[in-house]
Amino acid sequence: MPDGSFSHPQQRSFNPYTENGGTILAIAGADFTVIAGDTRQSEGYSIQTRYAPKVFRLTDRAVLAVNGFAADGNMFVKKVKQRLEWYRHAHAKDMPLRAIARLIQTMLYAQRFFPYYVYNILGGIEEDGTGAVYSFDPVGSYEREACRAAGAAQSLVQPFLDNQIYFKNQQAAPGQSHPLHLPLSDVLSIVIDSFTSATERHIEVGDGLEMYVVLAKGRSAQGLEGGRGVQELTTRTDGDRVFVIRRELKKD
Amino acid sequence: MECSFAITGKGYVIVAADTTAAHSIIKVKLDEDKIKTLSPHLLMAYSGEPGDTVQFAEYIERNIRLYQIRNTYPLRPSSAASWIRRALADSLRSRKPYSVNLLLGGYDTSTYTPHLYWIDYLGTLTEVPFGAHGYGSYFALSLLDRYHDPEASLEEGLATLKRCIDEVSKRLLVAPGRYKVKVVDKDGVREVEI
Amino acid sequence: MNSLVSRFSTTGPIAELRKAKEVLGDDDEFSDAVWGSEAGFGSLANGVPKFSIPQVPDPSAFLRLHTDDHSDPSCRIKIKHGTTTLAFRFQGGVIVAVDSRASAGSYVASGTVKKVIEINPYLLGTMAGGAADCQYWETYLGIQCRLHELRNRERISVAAASKYLSNLVYSYKGMGLSMGTMICGWDKTGPAVFYVDSDGTRLKGDLFSVGSGSTFAYGVLDQGYRWDLTDEEAQELGRRSIYAAGHRDAYSGNTINLYHVKEDGWKFIGNYDVSKMHYEGPNGVGYGYDIRTEGRSSANPPATQ
Repeated sequence: MPDGSFSHPQQRSFNPYTENGGTILAIAGADFTVIAGDTRQSEGYSIQTRYAPKVFRLTDRAVLAVNGFAADGNMFVKKVKQRLEWYRHAHAKDMPLRAIARLIQTMLYAQRFFPYYVYNILGGIEEDGTGAVYSFDPVGSYEREACRAAGAAQSLVQPFLDNQIYFKNQQAAPGQSHPLHLPLSDVLSIVIDSFTSATERHIEVGDGLEMYVVLAKGRSAQGLEGGRGVQELTTRTDGDRVFVIRRELKKD
Repeated sequence: MECSFAITGKGYVIVAADTTAAHSIIKVKLDEDKIKTLSPHLLMAYSGEPGDTVQFAEYIERNIRLYQIRNTYPLRPSSAASWIRRALADSLRSRKPYSVNLLLGGYDTSTYTPHLYWIDYLGTLTEVPFGAHGYGSYFALSLLDRYHDPEASLEEGLATLKRCIDEVSKRLLVAPGRYKVKVVDKDGVREVEI
Repeated sequence: MNSLVSRFSTTGPIAELRKAKEVLGDDDEFSDAVWGSEAGFGSLANGVPKFSIPQVPDPSAFLRLHTDDHSDPSCRIKIKHGTTTLAFRFQGGVIVAVDSRASAGSYVASGTVKKVIEINPYLLGTMAGGAADCQYWETYLGIQCRLHELRNRERISVAAASKYLSNLVYSYKGMGLSMGTMICGWDKTGPAVFYVDSDGTRLKGDLFSVGSGSTFAYGVLDQGYRWDLTDEEAQELGRRSIYAAGHRDAYSGNTINLYHVKEDGWKFIGNYDVSKMHYEGPNGVGYGYDIRTEGRSSANPPATQ
């Protein structure tokens, strides 16, 4: 109708979701964990920004990577941080990693009927000093793993990780066995290779790379301190330590 | 719902098909034979779209017979399977394809070997040690992975077939009531009771 | 001590306050949904958690639009599906066996999922359908079972625990929960298995299998099942049945987790790789058809003179 009204009932579907690309991954070592994500944020074929962090330091021993719908992701991280701060005020200590994992489950499941469209990977150091990775689905089911990739290039990166971390489809040399955990330098190389390769073959991955490294208390940070693009984010001394390593990725 | 099974054993193939002819929610006939004897050593169980099934089966039956009349000898099972598959594949690209699934069991008298072919309406053909069509296959295939023996005697083979039929009767909501069972071996084709 | 008692009591001032809060409809999103730890102040006995609901005319249609990968494979939120789980009762207790694959569409999202949820040392729950639904509500059930113990000074029966879960999921009927679970355990009545699903069905029984590969598991399970199976035979049957499903159902596989519930609680028997079972089996004899029948032929040539 010319007056702007409609002769028939109109129905519109409410779509509050979009997909902002990018990829995240995390790998647990014996006494460290690496949590990484690219920094490109896109919608369809348009790049919205070349620097939108997807990986966040929660505590000195926990780092959270979020992927999927960026607005939901940012909202979710904000709320997790808020809950962790309340915990600090109540208990005068940081929440342990496995408790953060359960907290994230309940927070995601509270949105069961209106989900956050986010895939979360939580990495850090457990109370026993071991490296740990927890991966979540959008409504909160989770499990502890040694490594996990999520996001746009998940199906490119995860098979590579399965091969390099779990030694899937690899046979150890006669009389030898595969190592249970890789050293930090090897893990960092695998992470960088994962992202350079994903950047080559996936249009939604690229621009920048942020790798968070959580080191267990007392572990020497050899090679990390003062390294190229390395920044320490630890707030307190004599505990677990958090570093971030920034690298460039191709921008086309 | 329609179910058919077939298993090979030492020197034989057993082919079983349910005997129900259904229309809408009604069982129209309870003793329909859905296994054709194509040649002295060849059996074919057919299922699928009502109408298409019998039309296609009779077309195959007549042509296999024609071949035997013209050449004195019938087609060997592998050749018959190839020809039947091609008939379905050609049909698929026609204006009105036949929707018919088949289990073709035969005994090759020159190599003393039983052969079983699983064929679907798309013209997919594969030689198998055992096969099934219909919802029954979801229960029977894992069972046969566990219990099938290529060297089983006929009695053992029939016992294994009975396991399949019993399992389907136990678990499948729309299980058929009766089956017709035929055997092909070096002596030709015969019907057996289970 | 007093505060602990009052927190769990159903009468008294704190309970009254709690009831008043419920009547008023506490809108704080952190109020009850976060039963794990309310910033450390605890909210364990607050009853069923609350959930945020989208402000649309039909919230469950909204959820279905964005999460149901059967009606729309391109929808964004893929909830993990596909499973084979089984549990059966026999002379020696209860066997629980599951696979470990989680798929999102055709992608194998994980091959290491724990589909047996350890509710407490005497109760196991299995996971089929929505992974989060099962994990969350069966953990929640564990809390309620513990509270039952504290209140009544005795363990909850399997029947009561399963009924608690059944009533709970039934209250969400039509909202889009997806669970098919077996609650297994040992109580005063002996070994028990209950099937509970998100439709609200609750069935007591001897033998169940749930999930996309259940038909394949039943095929092996039914044929090998007897009440007087030995412990070893029963464990082998559970393992072999999940292998069958892993082999025939594309949505099941990776590894098998096997549990055995006896009078003194459940015991984890082992984790078995499906591929390894195919070629080598649990003790050198492969389950695979080609492995099992290697060298055997159906050809029947006449005996040569």
